[in-house]
Amino acid sequence: MDCKTAAELVPLYFDGELDRATSREVEAHLDTCADCQAALIELDALRRALRHDVPRFSAPDTLRRRVAESATVAMPPSSDRRGSSRRRTWLALAASWVLAFTAGGFTLGMWNQVASSGHAESQLDRDLFASHWRALAAASPIDVVSTDQHTVKPWFAGKVATAPVVRDFAAQGYALMGGRVDYVGNERVPVLVYRHGKHLIDVFVLPGPVTHEGHEAVQMQGYSLENANLGGQKAIIVSDMDRDELLHFRDLLNSVT
Amino acid sequence: MMATGNRAVVDDLALRHLDAAYNLGRWLLGNEQDAADAVHDAYLRAARACDTYAGGNARAWWLAIVRNCCLARLALRNKEKANVAIDDNPVAAERLMPHDESGGVEDQVDGAIRRRQMAMHLDRLPAMFREVLILREIEELSYREIADVLEAPIGTVMSRLARGRALLQKALTDDGTVEAPHGL
Repeated sequence: MDCKTAAELVPLYFDGELDRATSREVEAHLDTCADCQAALIELDALRRALRHDVPRFSAPDTLRRRVAESATVAMPPSSDRRGSSRRRTWLALAASWVLAFTAGGFTLGMWNQVASSGHAESQLDRDLFASHWRALAAASPIDVVSTDQHTVKPWFAGKVATAPVVRDFAAQGYALMGGRVDYVGNERVPVLVYRHGKHLIDVFVLPGPVTHEGHEAVQMQGYSLENANLGGQKAIIVSDMDRDELLHFRDLLNSVT
Repeated sequence: MMATGNRAVVDDLALRHLDAAYNLGRWLLGNEQDAADAVHDAYLRAARACDTYAGGNARAWWLAIVRNCCLARLALRNKEKANVAIDDNPVAAERLMPHDESGGVEDQVDGAIRRRQMAMHLDRLPAMFREVLILREIEELSYREIADVLEAPIGTVMSRLARGRALLQKALTDDGTVEAPHGL
């Protein structure tokens, strides 16, 4: 994709208006083009300023009463907050890009090191690590913040092909923080986010056809990958926990039916 | 005959999206009383028109009615003042943008001042750009939904959004409300 085309598409990408394939082309271009990165950062800065600094006027109670009195049916008080979580996903994606870019050499440096390391890690492994780091670099690694498994599970429904089984392991020391949707390869996959002490744990729940070759845990930059079976779905854990803690958490996931 | 089912849908819709409607009205009309009246008008109109509502994007349908009520009020108010109407061509509308006379580098630290400046700049934008920014950035409508509200093609939405963002960005950078992002 040439820069002229990309420059036209960046706002559409930022607004979540591109189809998946074109989004990925734009992302590939963004990886290499400082100008387009700057344009994306500028869009994000403007949106943050607008959301943060511009007052959003709420309907005064008098108006609400006026409308409610004319209405034929009694309505519960509005609990409608801004926007849908669909677009929040995109915002998080854009934000994570922006932050990854501002983190600059850091992220890219790691990426290059990963890419050039002669160990021939699979593309999947690299995707998973990159996505974990990108989430760590973002303002929040979580799109839906909830410690309630009954909130997280339905949030995924409709955003990904199969909503994963969601369990909280707070009692065992691995508290459910929430979830997000991320890309692995060409797939949108659900990611469950847990916390253990100060460690953040991502659980990528993979769709059927993707297979992970790693037999043993893969290590990179102090982070590890570990396979698990989450109620019949293939899941991959990414975290910087100790090996023992990681295996304990994996066993917890494996025990989910 | 009133289809009570539809009427209930419209009531629910209006009440659920009352904040969005009011926010749009407030930014288009510039004061609370007019915004509240316009939204109430819009509700009455929507309730009367509930039988003609044919499904589709309900929120965009409702906000389109709100917008039309606001524009009607705006037109009435501007009758004597002979201002540029909202849908006049963008070039003419941009000429209305006053050049900023504010400055004061030391002021910019203060969050309250930053918010006031932000609101001021948004207020100064020609309404046609202000409304797409509100709908997109604050109310988080998709391009399709905004096009439905504006009853305009998506291409128009995209160009107004781009132009509005550029104008606002420029105004903010000029007085330092938002730092100019510098590459990496």
